[in-house]
Amino acid sequence: MANLRRQVAGYGFILPWLVALALFIGYPFVAGFYFSFCDYPPLRSPAFIGLDNYAELLGDAKFHRSLGVTLVYAAVAIPLGVVLAITLAMFLNARIRGQSFYRVIFYIPHLVPTVVVAILWLWIFNPEFGLLNIVLAGLMSAADAWTGLFFGLGAETPGQGFFRPAAVALLAAPALAAVALGPIMPAAVRRRPALRRLLASLAVAAILLAAVALLNAVVHGLLPVDAKKLHSPGWLADGNPLPADLSFAPSWALWALIVMSMWGVGQMAIIYLAKLQDVPVDLYEAADIDGANWLQKTWQITLPMISPVILFNVVMSIIGTFQVFTEPYIMTAGGPEDKTRFVALFVYDYTFQYQRVGYASAVAWVLFVMIVVLTILAFRISQKRVYYAGR
Amino acid sequence: MRGVHVGLAVLILAVILVAWFEPRPALEDFDPVRHAAFKDTWNKRVHLSYWEKWGSFEADACQKMVDTFNESQDEIFVHYLRTSQVDRKSMLAAIGRDPPDVVGLWNFNVVPFAEGGALMPLDDLMKASGLTRDFYIENYLKLGEFEGRIWALPTAAMTLALFYNKEHFRRKAQELRAAGLDPDRAPQTIEELDRYADVLNAFEPDGSPRIMGFLPTEPGWYNHVWGYFFGGRLVDPATGKITTDEPANIRAYAWIKHYAEAYGREKLLRFKSGFGTFDSPFNAFIEGKVSMEVQGVWFPMFIRRHRPQMEFGVAPFPCAEGVPGPRSLMEMDVIGIPRHCKHPKEAWRFVCWVQKEGLAILGRLQGKNIATRSAPPWFHQGHPNLELDVFEMLAVAPASFIIPNTLVGQELRDEMTRAFEHIWNWPIEQEGKDRLAGLSGAERKAMIETLCREEVQQTLAEVRREIQRKLDAKIERRRLQKSSAD
Repeated sequence: MANLRRQVAGYGFILPWLVALALFIGYPFVAGFYFSFCDYPPLRSPAFIGLDNYAELLGDAKFHRSLGVTLVYAAVAIPLGVVLAITLAMFLNARIRGQSFYRVIFYIPHLVPTVVVAILWLWIFNPEFGLLNIVLAGLMSAADAWTGLFFGLGAETPGQGFFRPAAVALLAAPALAAVALGPIMPAAVRRRPALRRLLASLAVAAILLAAVALLNAVVHGLLPVDAKKLHSPGWLADGNPLPADLSFAPSWALWALIVMSMWGVGQMAIIYLAKLQDVPVDLYEAADIDGANWLQKTWQITLPMISPVILFNVVMSIIGTFQVFTEPYIMTAGGPEDKTRFVALFVYDYTFQYQRVGYASAVAWVLFVMIVVLTILAFRISQKRVYYAGR
Repeated sequence: MRGVHVGLAVLILAVILVAWFEPRPALEDFDPVRHAAFKDTWNKRVHLSYWEKWGSFEADACQKMVDTFNESQDEIFVHYLRTSQVDRKSMLAAIGRDPPDVVGLWNFNVVPFAEGGALMPLDDLMKASGLTRDFYIENYLKLGEFEGRIWALPTAAMTLALFYNKEHFRRKAQELRAAGLDPDRAPQTIEELDRYADVLNAFEPDGSPRIMGFLPTEPGWYNHVWGYFFGGRLVDPATGKITTDEPANIRAYAWIKHYAEAYGREKLLRFKSGFGTFDSPFNAFIEGKVSMEVQGVWFPMFIRRHRPQMEFGVAPFPCAEGVPGPRSLMEMDVIGIPRHCKHPKEAWRFVCWVQKEGLAILGRLQGKNIATRSAPPWFHQGHPNLELDVFEMLAVAPASFIIPNTLVGQELRDEMTRAFEHIWNWPIEQEGKDRLAGLSGAERKAMIETLCREEVQQTLAEVRREIQRKLDAKIERRRLQKSSAD
């Protein structure tokens, strides 16, 4: 009797949630499936039309474009996000001063509402006044100057010579930073006289800049159109692909949304960080005794140990990517040329703009099936690669 | 533990009871400040909810119209509820069978609302109230029609015209004269528009634009109608077929492309990203970044709001040579009565009053023309839109046009906008660029149009096929539904 009462009380407490789940998620889910076989302008009753909506999807160029945009975005944004989050987590895991402060800083963006973030990035991506293009223009002109200095390619403006203030600043900044940040250098380096440290830093900076110059020259040689655009891209307003010669590549507008999606990577990094701190130290100590270097330790210990979390984050990213809506809705409205019309936006358009709830439901169900298939795929592929310490 | 359970249960019960018995706000609630003038008749009146758009001075104009109605009689009180995204909210309300009594929509909403049975047909009510077809300018009335019945009537009417910056014209008067153009008037053909634009352009030392004489991407709201100024059409009114790739439309979009190529897409893109929003002093035309722009009847009010001293002129937007003009796109905001509304009879009384008396109040205060053939004498006296005569002339011009109502109106508009963007952004191949090298003026323009003609034709043909397919499917489904209902 007491057991029954406990059960009743327990179910009683979760009842409001269960009712809400059934009403607001369960019912639309099932109803959406039925509507996907109907012609259903929202102001009339649904009329059953069999598989017509699904057949129409096969020949709908707009839907194909939307699906293409979503898949390309997923293919680029998910791996990029995972790599960036792991890298960030590893940095946050390092024993440096002010670690908690950095953790908070990287997590804060996740707390900002998506609409606010979208409006903020609209300004950042403005081709004329945007922060990103101002920084990019400075960096590119410095890189050009250095390319000119090293390879004689950058002096596009006659009479300008080799002296470029931006390039000098680029050289001086890391050197000064290296001197200023002396305390974080290894003790062996720190013990050396300041002048030698400065010279060493300058040499390192010069090598780095030579590498930048080389990279810039290669980019200019291989992708001349894109390299030229990189000085001041049109971002959200530009529907042309990057690289320009690959028609299936993401458009500049889509790249902008991909870059923006990295804004929330801090949240993923915090999850990785929790797992990283759970990796037993004795594994690293054993590897040190065996003479393993940093890369070997990362590849053989760190990544396998955090692999369950990587799988979790990949699955969540797949789901999240197929639901991207707010950012393109606010920032581009699907344009230019449908190049940012994600499937979620397509569903919205067909429901509210074109009043075809049945067709939109069919698309939503296709999307659902794709998410399920990709998630199963992710689990299958990862079966041999994910390590669970408890098993 | 038991105490906690009981406490929580009591709390939940209390919340439910408060939510249930708390009196809900109703239209009939009397506000002693706002409704003081109606104190004596308040409880006798039928209260109507009127969902309508508008902001700033345009909303004030609508409120004034409603106030005038409320003061004119003591049986009905209309509550004007300013509603953003009024079409979507009205649709959801219609689905929930709790619509407002009167709703203000856009003309492109008429078909989906009428087709879905969300609006009441108004023909019989009009007949009974003495509102005849010839009370209206025919094209406006047609925008509220679908399948031979009238579902919505006009509120704010619209025509488009060319706005030109007289200060820019004066500053470049000498160059304009040297080019054989008159600086004291607007261009009269598309060809002339190009020549004016060429002279009015001003560039920074690095070649990026400082002022563009004309930019077809501004304001970007009418990118689907350029073909009409070349004699083209998007829909054949006789057959209802989609005709996006007829030769005149191809010519129009090849002309558009010449602007993108002549001044550089990338440079124009950056230039355009520096423009402010429409209703701001940084609007491209108001700020003087664009010398000529196609805009609607509302624009003079916005110009004078943000830059009262600006000298500008308004003229019919030019047509290509040989195309009869003057002409303009005609659109309008509409007012309708949702089916299943609570007070249809009283709602019609209000709508009918709006048609007979309200339109003039609204048009006068919003600075617009009206959709009726005649206006009361006071309408023109001191009308704030000093350029009204141009828009009124365009509203009755025989060559002015509407895009006929079809089942795929919104899709057609969206696909044409996408086609415009594609044509604008489509890069000409290196081989083509080589052919352009060394050419200038009319020769260069002609070559650009030749080089992009095939792409333009393919893009517009793709739109036709896609939209026609959707239209045919919708017609077929509608036929099946009708036959099953019969």
